[in-house]
Amino acid sequence: MGLLSDPSLSTHNKLVDNLAKHVRKLCLALYTAGVVWFLCLAMPEFNHGTYLSENALSPGLVYPEIRIEANRLAVQLLEELQRERKEHQSTTPHAWIAAKFQEFGLETHTHNYTLRYPFGDGKEFHGKNIYGILRAPRIGSTEGIVFSAPYRVPSSVHVDITPSVPLLLAFADFARRKNYWAKDLIFLVTEQEQLGMQAWLEAYHDGDKESDSSDAYLRAGNLPARAGSLQAALNIEVQDLEVDYIDVKIEGLNGKLPNLDMFNLVQRIMAREGVVSGYKHTPRKKRRSHQSNYEQNLRQMLAMLSSQASGVPNGNHGLFHRYRIDALTITASKRVTNANVKSNPTSAAVPLLKAIEGIARSLNNLLERFHQSFFFYVIVNNDRYISIGDYMPALIALVACTFIKAYLTWSTLDVTVAATQSDPKSAGGKSTLAADTMKLSLPYGSVLIYLTFVLLIGYCGNVLPLQEYFSKLPLSAAPLTASILVGLNAIGFVLPFVVTLPPGGLELLHIGLLLIYGCAMIVIGLLNFSLGFFVAVISMPLIIALNTKASDKSMRNLTCVWTLLLNPLVIIYIIVLIMSFYQFPELTALQLLPRAASAAMDAATFALIDSVIYGNWLYFVVCTIFLPLWIISWTLVVGKRRDVEITKTKLKTN
Amino acid sequence: MQNTKMTVKQNMLLKGIVLCIIFIAGCAADHTTLPESFVNAAQQSTHTNNWAVLVDASRFWFNYRHVANVLSIYRSVKRLGIPDSQIILMIADDMACNARNPRPGQVYNNANQHINVYGDDVEVDYRGYEVTVENFVRLLTGRTQNGTARSKKLLSDAGSNVLIYLTGHGGDGFLKFQDSEEITSQELADGIQQMWEKKRYNELFFMVDTCQAASLYEKFTSPNVLAVASSLVGEDSLSHHVDPSIGVYMIDRYTYYALEFLEKVQPFSKRTIGEFLQVCPKRVCISTVGVRKDLYRRDPHKVPITDFFGAIRPTRVSTERINVTLANEEDFVNDVANVQPKKEFKIIMEPQFTAELLK
Repeated sequence: MGLLSDPSLSTHNKLVDNLAKHVRKLCLALYTAGVVWFLCLAMPEFNHGTYLSENALSPGLVYPEIRIEANRLAVQLLEELQRERKEHQSTTPHAWIAAKFQEFGLETHTHNYTLRYPFGDGKEFHGKNIYGILRAPRIGSTEGIVFSAPYRVPSSVHVDITPSVPLLLAFADFARRKNYWAKDLIFLVTEQEQLGMQAWLEAYHDGDKESDSSDAYLRAGNLPARAGSLQAALNIEVQDLEVDYIDVKIEGLNGKLPNLDMFNLVQRIMAREGVVSGYKHTPRKKRRSHQSNYEQNLRQMLAMLSSQASGVPNGNHGLFHRYRIDALTITASKRVTNANVKSNPTSAAVPLLKAIEGIARSLNNLLERFHQSFFFYVIVNNDRYISIGDYMPALIALVACTFIKAYLTWSTLDVTVAATQSDPKSAGGKSTLAADTMKLSLPYGSVLIYLTFVLLIGYCGNVLPLQEYFSKLPLSAAPLTASILVGLNAIGFVLPFVVTLPPGGLELLHIGLLLIYGCAMIVIGLLNFSLGFFVAVISMPLIIALNTKASDKSMRNLTCVWTLLLNPLVIIYIIVLIMSFYQFPELTALQLLPRAASAAMDAATFALIDSVIYGNWLYFVVCTIFLPLWIISWTLVVGKRRDVEITKTKLKTN
Repeated sequence: MQNTKMTVKQNMLLKGIVLCIIFIAGCAADHTTLPESFVNAAQQSTHTNNWAVLVDASRFWFNYRHVANVLSIYRSVKRLGIPDSQIILMIADDMACNARNPRPGQVYNNANQHINVYGDDVEVDYRGYEVTVENFVRLLTGRTQNGTARSKKLLSDAGSNVLIYLTGHGGDGFLKFQDSEEITSQELADGIQQMWEKKRYNELFFMVDTCQAASLYEKFTSPNVLAVASSLVGEDSLSHHVDPSIGVYMIDRYTYYALEFLEKVQPFSKRTIGEFLQVCPKRVCISTVGVRKDLYRRDPHKVPITDFFGAIRPTRVSTERINVTLANEEDFVNDVANVQPKKEFKIIMEPQFTAELLK
């Protein structure tokens, strides 16, 4: 006999009685504790100062050797590139970039890739990356570091970052003259934003393995040359050679982060070279606010978590994390012309070049991949962080009561089922015995089938939009995905009214929901804390309130409304609505609503494309975990009523 | 037979007792000092040859300074006369040929890059992954494996003064070798005790520059051992300075000041070990230098430093032709008769540190 079905344990004991009396209070207390703990993390007592734990990096022990000539070269190259750009309005001047790489003595190669657009009915896009390898002069090509700069065409909607490429070239020219490189340096210029980077990384790591890639949406092709296992990468986005400040971007795919040592290294070296730099750095004007230290920390924390939650990388660095390569982006912002600040174009970028050199030399010193410091952390300030050990308790406290409730529901299962099923007259002395046999005869099978069906609905959300017969319909991508998702949600919505679970089934389903929900939240929270935490914060009150035995009608209506609001589609719509409200404050509510709807459809489509091309698992999680969980909750909310009605009618007929 | 033996024993005992009484009486009569000749004899150097075991136990580029430490000490003992055949040099990593070294094939011990301590005449006996705890203990105790080259053996005898210099990363009671193993202070003490039992040294000078270095000599019990450590238990040993063109710490503080002292020592110098033990006061070393003298019978202030850092026999450099076997041959006799006396010359080794360096 199993532990849980052991009658000596499952009979009514004091603990269960007490628990049943206070479970609501206990759950609320745990929930509050979780939220309070999270808020406390912004206080300096709860977070720690950053420090470098990797000895090998030895940051700042070398004097930078890069001189003003490098800056002159960058300025000259920028002028040349600007001329080239006039002729290439919507294409990349590949020939010019490759010629420059070759001129500086790098082993230059081009990489072609093809994107088969999932919704384009066979439509294909082509792209080309250019990269040059500087071989380490005195060691085998077993390890490499990547320095990359994205190229944006003049017609791009994003901010202009043309100077990145000249800066990269100027640094490459400097680096080629040095004999101390212990790793190959790869200088990479990508196009089409993250797509080019993703294709290059896929080609670098899997290019030669692929035999048949006709099924893949992104055909990354192969690379003519490699440089061993990549240890680290630095992505450079420079808006202007005259740098105002540096924003260090770290959030990667699925909320992954580079090792904290890498962030600290960049901060340390930037400070040494006198470059203003920080995480989520903003222009000086905004910085001079009268917020308290605590408020600033909390804002920083929330900003980081909200950018992590979607799992979309905020720069090309984020795609490296998938291959366990620590990478970050340094974004140099343009200096706003100011009469007080005298700018000198001949030396403006020297501090930045020196910082890049310092970072390169420290990375060159690495003996193995970054492994000493944290991979899971939240940055509260440029020099303060929260480690995983400090923030996970917040999530665990939030989620803990699902397991308590699951235990309680299981322990009180016999009573409820006995009460609803057996004759009230004969219940008295035989109830325990009846309960024991009851547990064995619970409708496990039908609940399992129900759960499987619900999961299948979620799974369809992943697969259906990409099926060929759908893509042949005369519908564009966004309405297609959205209508499929709405359809699946509708099935989920109707399901509890169609399917009636046998008595006791709802309770079992409730236990299943609590356990699946609790485990899912903790696992998601471990991988991407922000997603797990935010979802737990909004959904946990419902899980606490959800009670199959509730008799209070207003309470039940409340949970019903709350459940409807928590539908994944509704949440996405609300988030998009809030975002567009802040982005377009001039629109009226009536204009805003349809606009947000179309934006939400786009968001769902982009999430799907992200999941098939980049491996972002947000869409997958929403479809396969959140949607089924919602359907189960919905079943519990509305299913109970039917159950009660049935028993009522039964009683009446009796 | 047994009877006679007994009587002999009894006789001896009696004599002993009488002698004791005389001795005690002598002491009581205020003759507290030992006979002068005996005292002087005890303070005399008693060794016949010198050996040095110099070990850098740590690898990786950022531990450049440990290699510089050991190479500098190597250079000093060689300058003071210990031949390469009697120096066992163990270096755990190849800094000179590290791909990160902007000066390929060279190792410097100060930022002025005045002399390359990894010069032409460096004989590394144990290199790279050969530097292990096992090899080190085998070397000390003379239990090298069959087929070990003669240059990799410590062929010392009961008349040898042995200098052991260790540098690397240490902790309380251990010194890390490579990145994978440690030698404990107990293992070191056992090794030295075996050396004593196997008559592999006359006197031993143990010098160690690591963090918590003093913990390494705590377990020693063997006689005639003098030990000095760069830091006490609980203290870190610190590096001296950085060379920003190479990008690493160049040398450790204790070794730096020890070398500064050794640089002034010439082969016939009157400098003593006692002075050497005070080279690095806390003011400059930051860590406290630990000394263990209780196992050593001589007064360090009367022991010339060349007893450990140099070779015993004063060598004379001859610039004339000397024939040791064919002394009767005519041409040689004629040669000697006709030879012009050559000018005297002096070998000058370049100083390791220049005067203007980082005062």
